[in-house]
Amino acid sequence: MDPVLADRLQFAFTIMFHYLFPIGTMGLAPFVAAYTWKAARNRDEETARIARFWTRIFAINFAAGVVTGIPMEFQFGTNWAAFSRRSGAVVGQPLAMESMFAFFLESVFLAVLLYRRRELPTMFTAWSAVLVCAGSWLSGFFIVATDAWMQHPVGYAIDPDGTIRLESIWAVLSSPFLIWQFLHVLNGALLAGGFIVMGVGAYYLLSRREEAIGRRFVRAGVIVGLIFSLLAIFPTGDRNGRNVTTFQPIKLAAMEGLFATEREAPLAIIGMPDARHQQLIDPIFVPEFLSFLAYGNFRANVSGLSAYARELWPPVELTYYAYHVMVGLGTIFAAVTGIAVLLLLAAQLWRAHWMLWLLMLLMPFPYIANEAGWVVAEVGRQPWIIYGLMRTSQGTSPTVASGETIFTLIGFAGMYFLLGVLYLFMVLREIELGPSAADKT
Amino acid sequence: MSVAGFAVIAFLLTGYVLLDGYDLGVAAIAPLIGRSDHERASAMASIGPFWNGNEVWLIAAGAALFALFPAAYASSFSGFYLPFIVALWLLMFRGIALEVRERRASELWHQFWDAAFSLASGLLIVLFGVALGNLLRGVPLDSAGYFQGTFAFLLNPYALLVGVFALVTLGAHGAAFAAMRIDGEPGARATRLVRRAVWLMLVLYVAVTASTFAMHVPIRASWLFVMPLLSLAALAGLWQAARKGREVGAFAMSSCFIVALLVTAAGTLFPYLLPAFPAGSGGISIFEAAPSATALSCALTVTLLGIVLLAIYAPAVWQRMGGKIRVE
Repeated sequence: MDPVLADRLQFAFTIMFHYLFPIGTMGLAPFVAAYTWKAARNRDEETARIARFWTRIFAINFAAGVVTGIPMEFQFGTNWAAFSRRSGAVVGQPLAMESMFAFFLESVFLAVLLYRRRELPTMFTAWSAVLVCAGSWLSGFFIVATDAWMQHPVGYAIDPDGTIRLESIWAVLSSPFLIWQFLHVLNGALLAGGFIVMGVGAYYLLSRREEAIGRRFVRAGVIVGLIFSLLAIFPTGDRNGRNVTTFQPIKLAAMEGLFATEREAPLAIIGMPDARHQQLIDPIFVPEFLSFLAYGNFRANVSGLSAYARELWPPVELTYYAYHVMVGLGTIFAAVTGIAVLLLLAAQLWRAHWMLWLLMLLMPFPYIANEAGWVVAEVGRQPWIIYGLMRTSQGTSPTVASGETIFTLIGFAGMYFLLGVLYLFMVLREIELGPSAADKT
Repeated sequence: MSVAGFAVIAFLLTGYVLLDGYDLGVAAIAPLIGRSDHERASAMASIGPFWNGNEVWLIAAGAALFALFPAAYASSFSGFYLPFIVALWLLMFRGIALEVRERRASELWHQFWDAAFSLASGLLIVLFGVALGNLLRGVPLDSAGYFQGTFAFLLNPYALLVGVFALVTLGAHGAAFAAMRIDGEPGARATRLVRRAVWLMLVLYVAVTASTFAMHVPIRASWLFVMPLLSLAALAGLWQAARKGREVGAFAMSSCFIVALLVTAAGTLFPYLLPAFPAGSGGISIFEAAPSATALSCALTVTLLGIVLLAIYAPAVWQRMGGKIRVE
């Protein structure tokens, strides 16, 4: 096998599996903090039980995130040595910041939440929960900072031997690409957090247990879910898309399946891209809308893929479908939570079993939308590992054979299968025990 | 400037070995101090709230190496490819064992995860020791500075000896921690274990030091000759403290011993990050892989600020989590 392909497969698999857990930690952290805070403030036993329930689920996510996260940082060195050697002076910085500022904070204060679990939370515990939340978001910020630099490199200079030198860390941390990408990523995780909370609540209501708590979960979840479904479209999704238009026009064309350059470019809602014949098969268009989305002007000129050399195209089909899956799901999320909130306001939600079913079954879909979004970002970045500076094919380790990578990929697959089974076992067990069950030792 | 970068990485790695060292050590010796299900559970509980934070030191050291000396990071990580990935799997496996053990009230379930936990942790210690041994001995580097490791080369008697030394030293370090944190029989057994391990550590220390000299590893700094005295003093202190039942003192002495060893190792390596084999034939030094002033000052600021912040909040938190774990 082509060693580059083996390395890419391993990275894609390990990062996508890993990312399932940060979605849960970044998304649930504010719920843990809010419930802990409220329980500490009001000395309220029920809220304290809820806080401990979400803390337990958060902790399982956190641990799974840690064990699958360690390989991520080291894979840069093991599998992408040429890339690391060239760009480490920049890429290593946000990673070092993540360890020093985010991971230490998160792990130390999570220990507080886990250690004092049988007593009513004090304000010290409440502050700890807030700091755990801050740590998990900060961690996300530094990782997105690393990625945003690979998407749109800034604040660097190139030495005569090709090594990339850090010129300004502030430029890296305040990159125009970074801000909206981070907000969109965080937005996606918070949306997922809302959907997890409402999904678990709907499950309790439908199985007629923990009903008081189930209502609190659904109420909090649909409101958070609606807010972040809307923010995901505007402004975070919109502004992120504008950045892609400005800095990565080829990626935009691939996302939209736009082959020919067009004025008043239409937006394809569905349709199957055929890169070989450079056409979109069986499309349904919204006229002029792509010009509007990309440039805020229905008459704007949007460059199609054919305007660029073929070797600069990302894999069109994958980029296109991942983008459409993300956007399609995002639209469904906004619609369903919108209706759910209306039902809630009309005091009809608890009787609308069909809606509770829907809320429960929607739980996994934000995960799909989040992962699809990352596929758009990373597959759409190809053929570059650092946009415009270094090709992915030049980034791998010269001393590692594809056989070694395939062996370790198989190993990771086995390991992650075991981890996935155990993760589900642990989380489902917590949900089955429920918030009211006596806390274990 | 590069020297400061070397110091940062040495500091973070020392922090890692001291901290994750004790939780790996507790895991490795858990079957020796815990005879019953409950007792072994107490061994896991003693490190439960800390292991996550301890592993952060490894990630921090890796990130600092990445940011400061990309060439050394790239060459060593890709050169040690399979051993590295195996270490990652072991790290994951013990993390999983820690998290899932208590999730089912079945003795069979506990036995399996206890065994997995101890084996994975013990193997990890040996692996880290073998890696350190190879680092001291040097590895073959090609002209581009990449290194192609073969198992036959890496599994040499010297590196294996360092691996065994690491297992005994960190096992004792873990036992000293367990003695401090766990009440009753398991705690007492841990104290006895430390006392017995001291003699083994002494023998292995002499053996490793003698074989390092026998390899003609160049000693570039004269202060290094003081280190054996400090190491032996720490070892004597450990023996004294363990004999008198001073638990905190024993853990402190064990920590001093480890710091002395790592300072010796770092001093021997300096200025190389990855010396070439055979000894004295160069390698990747901090000057060849030198970071730019911007990168260095950035990483240095980040590390120092992070450590200062940690030094402010971590002790405040740990104070509230003190006290011994009782075994029912």
